[in-house]
Amino acid sequence: MAKNALLEVQDLSVGYGGEPVCAPVTLGVQAGTALGVIGPNGAGKSTVLQTLVGLLPAIAGSVQFDGREVDERDAGFRRDVATVLDDDAFFPSLTGAEHLLLTARGHGVTAPDAVVEAEVEEFGLADRAHALPSALSSGQRRRLALAAAFVRPAKLLVLDEPERRLDAQMRRRLAARIAADVAEGLTVVFASHDAEFLSTVARRVLVVDDHACTLVSPKAAVAALHEG
Amino acid sequence: MNADPAAELSGAGVRRFTRQATATRADTSWLTLGGDVLSALTTAGVVVAVFGGAFSALRERIAARPEAAATDLPGELTALVAALLVTAGVVALLSRLGPLSATPATAAWWLPLPADRRGLLRGELRRVCGVGLVAAVVVALPVVLAAPAAPTLPEVVVTVLAAALVSLAAVGVLVVLQARELTGWVAPAAGAVATVAVVVPAVVGTVGSWTWVPTAPDISLPLLGGVPVLLAVAALLAADRVSGRLRAGALRERGTAVFVASASALSLDTRELGRALGTPVHPPRRTRSWSWVREPWQAVVAGDLAVFSRSPWRWGQLAIGTALPVLAARTDGLGGVPALVAVAVVIGWSVAAVALGEPARRAHGAPAADRALPMGAKDVVRARAIVPVVGLAVVCAVSAGVVGLGWEWAALGAATAPAWAGAAVRGGYRPELDWSGPVLSSPMGAVPTGVGVTLVRGLDLGVLGTVPLVIGLLLGEVPDLLLGIALGWSLLLGLISVETAQKKG
Repeated sequence: MAKNALLEVQDLSVGYGGEPVCAPVTLGVQAGTALGVIGPNGAGKSTVLQTLVGLLPAIAGSVQFDGREVDERDAGFRRDVATVLDDDAFFPSLTGAEHLLLTARGHGVTAPDAVVEAEVEEFGLADRAHALPSALSSGQRRRLALAAAFVRPAKLLVLDEPERRLDAQMRRRLAARIAADVAEGLTVVFASHDAEFLSTVARRVLVVDDHACTLVSPKAAVAALHEG
Repeated sequence: MNADPAAELSGAGVRRFTRQATATRADTSWLTLGGDVLSALTTAGVVVAVFGGAFSALRERIAARPEAAATDLPGELTALVAALLVTAGVVALLSRLGPLSATPATAAWWLPLPADRRGLLRGELRRVCGVGLVAAVVVALPVVLAAPAAPTLPEVVVTVLAAALVSLAAVGVLVVLQARELTGWVAPAAGAVATVAVVVPAVVGTVGSWTWVPTAPDISLPLLGGVPVLLAVAALLAADRVSGRLRAGALRERGTAVFVASASALSLDTRELGRALGTPVHPPRRTRSWSWVREPWQAVVAGDLAVFSRSPWRWGQLAIGTALPVLAARTDGLGGVPALVAVAVVIGWSVAAVALGEPARRAHGAPAADRALPMGAKDVVRARAIVPVVGLAVVCAVSAGVVGLGWEWAALGAATAPAWAGAAVRGGYRPELDWSGPVLSSPMGAVPTGVGVTLVRGLDLGVLGTVPLVIGLLLGEVPDLLLGIALGWSLLLGLISVETAQKKG
């Protein structure tokens, strides 16, 4: 276990109805680092991520964030942890920009309009920012959900397959953006099937499996992804 | 990026932001809103007047009839049982759906904010209270209007108000249980209460003598009004306090169920609605070996038995289905009106048919297992009728036998079983509504043509199969000829149901 890790996971067993979906997980994620999570479809990656942020109860084991047991009901935890998981849900009557403004203002961001405008530009949504979600394409809605994680401050960012539904250029830009934020101190945990994304962002990779969940280097993880 | 926790939006602030952003592009003016409110109030007034008049007329008709033999249960009791049934249904529904929940959008955009969850959920709590109030009025009004003694206006007002306050208290208690993750037992308990409420009076009214007549408690008005007010206020304050402890994952899960149920209701997909609202099936305690299965048709029967035995609340449905016609037949006034007993028979046996049609509904939703069997599709459907035939033969025979108090009535009920078994299978394999064709304008919005035919598929032939029993009720006896006709007619309808269950496509 890493010393003074921002996120500490000990013998964590995850699943539904008391049935584990993968082997127990033990790891520590230091502040300012990025951990990738890989595994085949159905291996339990999303379940691990949802349990890490307290959206699913753990079957056994513990998850500590910043020295405290994870409890998403705690406002301080929500203040520090940003997530983009499997959500593709939007208020039908709020524009994309309004969704982002709600997030920024909800987090007490100073000059929220300017922050939202910058991220709208960054995520290539400038000409669609004032459209309702129903008028956005699937990829644009994904960009909007991802942008919401960046219009607010966070210590930890948890992403489930951030590359999903993004074009190649946006994927590269997002990977570079996350890598730059990690260099500035952000901690990131993300699941991915994208070898390029993984090698750009991750410093270590957790391989989720039925028999054992192991930590490997990004190089080994990319090789594992290529082997399928 | 700089942020100041003091500048964060509160729960109420988040709700206000969302409401105001929505309002900027809504074309609803205060005038439109006022018109809508007036229209809703007028509609509610008309509904109350029409139903009040209908119930009063029914009460007078029942009172004018000579007392029928073998009816023992007071009308007040049956009215109370009806209210309990609806209340149990509403409570089970609220516990299944939360009662507090977060829509997918709310879960994605509100719950991750640092805003106080209590403030975020206060609007949802108000909405659920509104649902509880509407349910209370819908339950209490018919009960008080249908009471054998004509109620006075103050009695109607006090009853409805008391019901409304009790419903608010119930919502509050359910939210407190939800916060402690203890709502799992509520729906089974509500089902058990409903079952006992129907079965016990039916049995006692048949084999013994029922003496208790439900009446309003003889206590002073301040106490009568004050206790429900205190209970409602205390429960709602507690609910508001604990709502901040609700977990986002659980709120999101319940919100998804609400979303799917609403979409299913709007698209008139009752089968999907049942799935959305149904209690999840728990994993079986032991794996079955099915050593007695030798033939493919036996595999279908074995699978159906397993599905039926693992369906939540199956025995309760069968018990209510059996006892409901008996309850109607034993009730003073109702028992002397064959048409009303017939309605209870159709409702009760429909409930039993729906319970026994669960394997057919599952098979329709996931046909892969059936396709793997070395049998033709029609043979599979025929084999699928075996479990419902056996189950409904017992339900219909017992039910009709006790309604008519004679073996010939039991035989008539058993003869009706093939039609209802066919109905169970036909209903289970009911095709989806075809929204690709022409649609009709209705008060509920656009609906596909043929919606009625599709929705009553199954029930239609069951009702037709009950016609000989209705004739028996009107005659007051079961001639041998009627028994023969009932059996032939029921077998024919059962055969038609099974043979046409799967539409050629």
